[in-house]
Amino acid sequence: MASETGLDRAAVRKTGVRGVAGRAGRGRWAREQRRALRWGLAPALSVLALATLAPAVWLIITSLTPLTPTDPGSLDFSEPWQNYQQAFSSPEFVRSVWVQVELSSVTVVLQLLIGLGIALLLDKPSKLLETIRTVFLVPMVLPPIVVAIIWKIIYTPAISPLHRLGAFLGVPFHSLITNADTAIWAIAAADTWEWFPFTMLMTLAALQMVPKEPQEAARIDGAGAVQLFWHVRLPYIRGTLVVAGLFRLIDSIKAFPLIYLLTDGGPGGATQVTNYYAFVQTFNFAYWGYGSAIAMLLVAGVFVLSLLISRAGGGMALDE
Amino acid sequence: MPKRRPALPRRALLAGAAATTGLLVLPGRAPAQGGRKKLDGVTLHVTCFSHTYSEFLRSYLPEFEEATGAKVVYNTPAFPIYNQRMDIELSTRSAAHDVINVTFIYSGRWVGAGWTTPLDDFIKDPRKTPVDFEPGDFLPGTTAAFKDAEGSLHAIPWIADAQQAGATRYDLIEQAGFQQPDNFDQMPALLKALKAKGGPAPFATENHYGWQFPPYLLAFGGLIFRHAPDDLHPMLDTPEAIHAAEFFSDMLRSYGPDGILSYTYDQVAQALKDGTINYSTNNETFLVRMAESDSKVANTCALSMMPAGPAGRFPNVASHGWGMPVAARNKDASWEFITWAMSKQLLSRMFHEKGYSSVTRASMIAQPEFEKKLMINGFDGAKIYRDTLDLAGKGYTVYRTVAPYPPIDRELDNAIQTIVSQQMSAKEAMQQAQQNSLRALQRAGVKL
Amino acid sequence: MNSRNVRAWTRYAIAAALVIVVLSPALWLVLMSLRPNTDIMATTLAFRPTLHNYAEAWTGEFPASFGHSLSASLASTVVSLLVGVPAAYVLARWRFRGQHQVAMWILVTRMAPPIAFTIPFFLAYTWLGLMDTVAGLALIYVTFNLALVVWTMKGFFDAVPRSLEEAAWIDGASLWGAFARVALPLAAPGLAATGILCFILSWNDFFFALILTRTEAMTAPVAIVNFMQYAGFEWGKIAAGGVSVMLPVLLFTVLVRRYLVSGLTAGGVKE
Repeated sequence: MASETGLDRAAVRKTGVRGVAGRAGRGRWAREQRRALRWGLAPALSVLALATLAPAVWLIITSLTPLTPTDPGSLDFSEPWQNYQQAFSSPEFVRSVWVQVELSSVTVVLQLLIGLGIALLLDKPSKLLETIRTVFLVPMVLPPIVVAIIWKIIYTPAISPLHRLGAFLGVPFHSLITNADTAIWAIAAADTWEWFPFTMLMTLAALQMVPKEPQEAARIDGAGAVQLFWHVRLPYIRGTLVVAGLFRLIDSIKAFPLIYLLTDGGPGGATQVTNYYAFVQTFNFAYWGYGSAIAMLLVAGVFVLSLLISRAGGGMALDE
Repeated sequence: MPKRRPALPRRALLAGAAATTGLLVLPGRAPAQGGRKKLDGVTLHVTCFSHTYSEFLRSYLPEFEEATGAKVVYNTPAFPIYNQRMDIELSTRSAAHDVINVTFIYSGRWVGAGWTTPLDDFIKDPRKTPVDFEPGDFLPGTTAAFKDAEGSLHAIPWIADAQQAGATRYDLIEQAGFQQPDNFDQMPALLKALKAKGGPAPFATENHYGWQFPPYLLAFGGLIFRHAPDDLHPMLDTPEAIHAAEFFSDMLRSYGPDGILSYTYDQVAQALKDGTINYSTNNETFLVRMAESDSKVANTCALSMMPAGPAGRFPNVASHGWGMPVAARNKDASWEFITWAMSKQLLSRMFHEKGYSSVTRASMIAQPEFEKKLMINGFDGAKIYRDTLDLAGKGYTVYRTVAPYPPIDRELDNAIQTIVSQQMSAKEAMQQAQQNSLRALQRAGVKL
Repeated sequence: MNSRNVRAWTRYAIAAALVIVVLSPALWLVLMSLRPNTDIMATTLAFRPTLHNYAEAWTGEFPASFGHSLSASLASTVVSLLVGVPAAYVLARWRFRGQHQVAMWILVTRMAPPIAFTIPFFLAYTWLGLMDTVAGLALIYVTFNLALVVWTMKGFFDAVPRSLEEAAWIDGASLWGAFARVALPLAAPGLAATGILCFILSWNDFFFALILTRTEAMTAPVAIVNFMQYAGFEWGKIAAGGVSVMLPVLLFTVLVRRYLVSGLTAGGVKE
């Protein structure tokens, strides 16, 4: 067997497969290799197919019906678009999308800014800073329901250390989660606390990959810290910031425990994001068909955003 | 002048002891022959939402297990979680549980869809039901919600959750020159005076407004549906409904504690016992806890009827009951459990030993001990309870048991939250609730 | 020289201050769990710590729920690794048509909101008898951990030079033989880290456990919510439960801190 690792381009064009040994498509060994590889991939693909395609099919089908378990005749396809029509003409649904947009943008911007800021702070080789970095991971790995409990305590005026601190410092304030103007911000603050370590870590990794020469050169030229950052380092880490932002954006759509424990979507729907709206419709009222339609819309949104991630940063992963 | 609560009378203790001895042999049944117990090897899965009653019952379960040889797996999740799970479970004809709680607000749905087992055959069978169970002893007002279209009973009610009013600091109310309000007109002046004095937050109620708001709505002449259960056209945007919403929200916003919108029923119960809130229109089960021994306000609390409005007095009464899923595997065993849990003996013990007073048996309510126990600081809790049940017997609570009510319940929650948090005026909020309710009913397939 | 020292120490000081600010919410929970119930509403810092809340919390269903969390997380981790590692190897070593589509598919399953899966899974599980079982939970955890395993391990396998395996093939080893003897040992640290990451994510799940379990398989995060009940919002007990649930996770975090980001961005960026 030849040990060259070059590619037989003619063979590639013919078969579309670049064999692992560099020899394309020919020979018993290559065929056996491909078969072995298929067996390696098969279990994973079948599990995924079963676990994701089957629910997806169910979702699509039921989203075209007003399915609800109390009505045996509700698996009825006579008006397939009724759920979607209802959703778009429902002020509650439309509002939930705006609430989602608001919450997502606030949390992503905050997490990027804070993550970036702390990353810049910690970006020096030092044992102490490395330990501090590990400590900053804590909010991100806590079970989200515990995070929700922590912030419920902080936001309940009767037992909140924050409220007491405010009163002590002479700036008392009222409950944040029952005020329509501040409820979203309160949730955003809790969410940012939970996830800033993510953007911090990604940015830190990216900062450490910025080449040294341009930074040295700029310093020698007398650039201050701000200029150094803006003109030299930022261009290198911009891609990472975008990807981190997109990841957080997609994850923010799934937000659940914080809203479940802190506000139940209130007050008066002020923090009811689309995911939560779908939860209530599906599990409180058993409108399965309608819930499926909203879930479909969410998945479509997530799909589009995933495409963006793939383009922005994932391209690197797939085409090395 | 506030009186001290009576200590547990000896007579009650003796009655309790007698009942215990009596319970070791289940009433009406001969002890099993040959040492084998009636439900040996049977595992019963029983579930109800978390409540004082369900916690009290938990403490008696070992006796049931001892007497019957059964093993009871008992699960009491929080109210919203219980309802979500039970709804899904029943809708898929699951046999996961043997005995379940039929929640009032879902009774129309679960019974109407045929997801629960009719109990009439069990009740009529003398081999299955002991003579002293007396199914007729349960107040008609409490069993009405569990009857299907043919009139068969699907659950035995364990609670008549009656709405009334209470105060933790009646001393402050008297000092301000007032009494417990009998009419909604009297509330604003009282609450304003209390606020001026400082002290606990003058007013609070739990944030399930779909339940706490209707007494106000109906008292001001409003309606939920035009004529439940036949005509389900919602009536949430009438001038009376708007006025009621405005009044209720104003009381909450002006006189409630900070963060009132996030007060769940358990938080309110705790706040009542701690005395951090004062006047409350609320469930009887929470209000009587003010008089418990570990309550900080036992000596200063008061009880009264739900206030009336121009159109009358309309306290809600919700009954929850024990039933069986239609797919339950061992219905005889389930029924054994239900007749034990709802027996006169056990309920009587629960009343005497634990102080559980939201009972549904007419015979218990008629007992002098019941009156004595609920005589709190000179307020006749038993009379308030009886009068409230009588009122609700008139039938205006039927709106809660129609199958598509749950989304309307949430719309009421939303509307009040919206008004209190000043996102919309009462008029706008109720109009929005009306439109959303129409949409929800349409989604549920109701013809209007 | 001096100004650089000043800058360095300022940096440390700010970092330390930030650590205190960031950790204080979590620390407050720990404090609350040790506070006696009589002054649970107090916000003073001076009190006599007590383990009473932990004693109260660790009764009834709570210890069992920990066991369920442990079983479900372990089972799903093992299965995810067994199924996912070979797949990761294939994706690392083989170019094939449709690779991008498969990658996209895996990415979307990672990102899709859980609600999209719950009713179908609920119905399927009821029909199959997997409702309220640890096996059922483990299975659904496998579905969202699989993508994580595939993507993270792919990165590690990419870093293993092919020449070593090729040498093994020349010596007559089969594809998977070389994998087991050459690639896998070299990627072992990544394997450990990925496994721990799977464990953490399974342990932390709330939504699926809430919907798909009752009594027999209830996990620790759901058990805590059960504390928030009628009996008057026992904050001390809730805090003790919360601290108990977060301890294993914190322990593991220290072990895998380096690999956390690559795991969480699985499918997006190559680290």
